Amino acid sequence: MINLAAGPAHPILHAWPALIPVAVLILGLDGYCLVNLVRAPSVRNLPKPLWAIVILFVSAPLGAILYLCFGTDRTGTGRTRPPSPGGAPTSALSATAAPSAVQPTLLAPGPADRRPVVTTTGLSRDYGGIGLFDVDLVVPQGSIYGLVGLNGAGKTTLLSILAATRRPDRGTVSLAVGRTSAAVCPDVPEFDPWLTSTEVAGLARALVAPGSDSSASVAAALRATGLADAADRRVGGLSRGMLQRLGLACALAGDPELLILDEPMSALDPAGRAELLGVIAGMRGTRTVIFSSHILADVQRVADQIGILRAGRLLYQGSTAELMDRYLTPSWLLRIAGPADPVQAALAAQPWVTKVEATEPGVLQVDATGIADGERGIPAIVAACGARQVACEPVTADLESAFLALTGAGVKEVA
Amino acid sequence: MTTATRPARPMSLWRLEWLRLVRTPRAVSLGAVFLATGLLEPVATRYASVLLSHVARGTVVSLPKPTAAQALSSYVSEATIVGLIVLVAMAASAYNFDARPGLSAFFRTRVPSMWRLIAPRFAASAAAGVVAYLLGTLAAWYETRLLIGPLPAGGLLAGMLCAAVYLMFAVAVTALAASLTTSTVASVGITLAILLAALPLLGEVHAISSWVPTALVSAPADLVSSPPADDLAHYVPALAVSAVAGALALVAAVLRLQARET
Repeated sequence: MINLAAGPAHPILHAWPALIPVAVLILGLDGYCLVNLVRAPSVRNLPKPLWAIVILFVSAPLGAILYLCFGTDRTGTGRTRPPSPGGAPTSALSATAAPSAVQPTLLAPGPADRRPVVTTTGLSRDYGGIGLFDVDLVVPQGSIYGLVGLNGAGKTTLLSILAATRRPDRGTVSLAVGRTSAAVCPDVPEFDPWLTSTEVAGLARALVAPGSDSSASVAAALRATGLADAADRRVGGLSRGMLQRLGLACALAGDPELLILDEPMSALDPAGRAELLGVIAGMRGTRTVIFSSHILADVQRVADQIGILRAGRLLYQGSTAELMDRYLTPSWLLRIAGPADPVQAALAAQPWVTKVEATEPGVLQVDATGIADGERGIPAIVAACGARQVACEPVTADLESAFLALTGAGVKEVA
Repeated sequence: MTTATRPARPMSLWRLEWLRLVRTPRAVSLGAVFLATGLLEPVATRYASVLLSHVARGTVVSLPKPTAAQALSSYVSEATIVGLIVLVAMAASAYNFDARPGLSAFFRTRVPSMWRLIAPRFAASAAAGVVAYLLGTLAAWYETRLLIGPLPAGGLLAGMLCAAVYLMFAVAVTALAASLTTSTVASVGITLAILLAALPLLGEVHAISSWVPTALVSAPADLVSSPPADDLAHYVPALAVSAVAGALALVAAVLRLQARET
């Protein structure tokens, strides 16, 4: 037993100069952990007061080490701004919000004379009967190319091969732009949680354009994706939807000619989806965008080119409007003020009308052989009959119908 | 309403590694482990008899007067196990970006050469490990000098060199392990199995014992013993093998990561 009271001073007391650094280390570590705890927006595993007790009263410095290992929030401390109400960005997404720093040279708008930016020939990747088989993709420059298909159709495999993160078994991929001019945004973007949004986008820019001044491009990309208010927030504190916006911001920060987006709207609420669709639609003619989506209405809204995959094979590729015109029997509900019989009879006599029937008084359902025929012919017949047209609404002319007609899939499969 | 963004320092893969060290508990944990070991082991060595007597109540424990070399040896044996585990875990978490598909896509679609990704991670982890080890050694030297006696400066510096090369070798082996699996835990396990089991077993083979990198682990203590058990020349083969094997491990890691699909 150590007897410190009697006799000459205990030898350990002579060693006080040696014990000072030990005390400094222990107190310093405890102090660091306490400051870290106070500044942390959140901690893991235990509430803050309990961690304070652990740091102070569990055998020093064991409590501090326990806190460092199991308590510290991965989002870091101190520089985190409080989130905006609801965790959502406050600035609206807008296709026109991005200043010129992220806008490349305007390309010729006409789809017919656009050179292909992405071309694949016989692209195949076999995962034992599923995968991708003989895909010949052609993506015109400046187009918005929507890639749709059921789960397991091969969309992500195709995009991964285009992004060069997977290799094909057979076939070739030809890009008309350099690899650093092609940006990829996965469906679930992930980043180091202790970086801020600005730092992540800045890193994305620096990796594809080292040495260039990135601040203007980064700020513009964050504004364009509605993340200006979250520029200094740590990534670990962002919601899934905001991470998806940040993924797009990283892609835009590199000022790419080609954007490859895998399910870019999957984590967004309806308002955010509409805003992001606006951003994508705004790129038409300035960048080439390939994006996959399960939401066919989104694809129909922004994509001028479409590719439909089923079981790894490309069933259709071409203009979205042509697809609907080609695979549908377009139908309209025509509302007439007054008697509808003369109009019905006149329509029934037209060669481009496949069926016309009165669904209720003053309402005719007109099925035509093509969208263009109906859009041109119905108003002309109504005018020729001297009838007054109240409304003429398309009934089934949407991408979902075309998709179902082409793939033979049930509605549940599409969802 | 939009907020003006704060002017940020330009980002690069090197700055990313610096931020990884200082914005997470990595640097503090590594420094704390080595410093605490360096400060406490000489104290424990010097007062081992007092502490043991205190634990075994009523029994007087008498031990031979400790030497300065024993104090440093005690530090080295602790630091090369606990500190090594922390360093390997830290390096493995930096190398294993493929463990998170979204993060993997972020880097792999922007960085054409895997060497650009691996070099900063290796350099930052190795530098952090070496600096932490040197701080711990300086702390051990200070405590030993006050409590027991001086250590030869030449032997101490030579020992630091050997330990630094061994730690860099360990970080390179971690890179190789990370190229074998996408799991961080598995990478740590593979690395520790190599460093703490396979190589020490190999070192038991007398003919090659001086060529095995783990020979460097005991060098800091052996080089300060009185009389010195060995001189630096004795460790040149292990130094050379560690440097070459570390470089080969890095090259193999880069090639494997380059070929990996995610």
